[in-house]
Amino acid sequence: MAKTYDYLFKLLLIGDSGVGKTCLLFRFSEDAFNSTFISTIGIDFKIRTIELDGKKIKLQIWDTAGQERFRTITTAYYRGAMGIMLVYDITSEKSFENIRNWIRNIEEHASKDVEKMILANKCDMNDRRQVSKERGENLAVEHGIKFMETSAKASINVDEAFFTLARDIKGKMDRKSDATTNAKSGGYQLKKDNAPKKSFWKCSIL
Amino acid sequence: MSEACKSTPTVDCLQENGKNKTNIYCQRCPSLVLSSEQALLTEKEFYLPFMHKKKDKEPFDGETLKDYWVVQDMYTFDNVGFSNTVGTTKYLICADCEIGPIGWHDTNDKKAFYVAVDRVKHG
Repeated sequence: MAKTYDYLFKLLLIGDSGVGKTCLLFRFSEDAFNSTFISTIGIDFKIRTIELDGKKIKLQIWDTAGQERFRTITTAYYRGAMGIMLVYDITSEKSFENIRNWIRNIEEHASKDVEKMILANKCDMNDRRQVSKERGENLAVEHGIKFMETSAKASINVDEAFFTLARDIKGKMDRKSDATTNAKSGGYQLKKDNAPKKSFWKCSIL
Repeated sequence: MSEACKSTPTVDCLQENGKNKTNIYCQRCPSLVLSSEQALLTEKEFYLPFMHKKKDKEPFDGETLKDYWVVQDMYTFDNVGFSNTVGTTKYLICADCEIGPIGWHDTNDKKAFYVAVDRVKHG
């Protein structure tokens, strides 16, 4: 059957446990159904379809699912990841401080050109806020990463965050494929030109 | 819809040329699971735990269902969630409200993903 999509992006959600990653990724809808059976075995990943610039994009979204301590998340988990959401909880200083460790972990194990974004989650809980928006923004600027405050519970910026990350990955891919297309046509030309040279070298070696 | 389907709708009324005539949605929320004409109707007996915990039953009680929509590629789904693997089974759930299992996948058969006709909304 013909492919029903234009792009496929693998995304990861990373951050300390309790920052609401599961809600973010896993619930765009607020009232989750509590199935004893499903909650017992747990969720592995989700597939979502979004549309960007008239293109159908499939997102495969993974949660760190219990391997929250950054020391345990290694290369295998990052394999093939094109986008990473770094999530902290604005009511937890610790989860914010750990973002630096997560970034280091990503630099060590993930592909160099993976798109990243920092999400400050639970922004509906301002009364318990420990991390100002400014500090979050500064950290993001420092690493050249986009930043957004989100609330999975109040559905603030959740869709926007995923669209932004997907748009950035798509932009990067489109630029890359443009470059390859150019290189390919150029390469063809070069090949033609190079062919006699090769034989020339062979001759000279002989 | 044919007259027969109007009076006594059956599973057969949901398909055309073996494929799903309409979009397939979650029964509980507006989440789109599969777009029209993407899945094939198939008969295969498989036991699925109930989505709702029945008061007078054990939490993991279920039923054997036989009518399923099947797709070959998991990226055919518009929105769906996969549970962790139990034995060789991954259960499918609604990606939005997480109700489930709405279907299943056997990790030994990479080219078959089943959605129970009785556990989704058509049209």
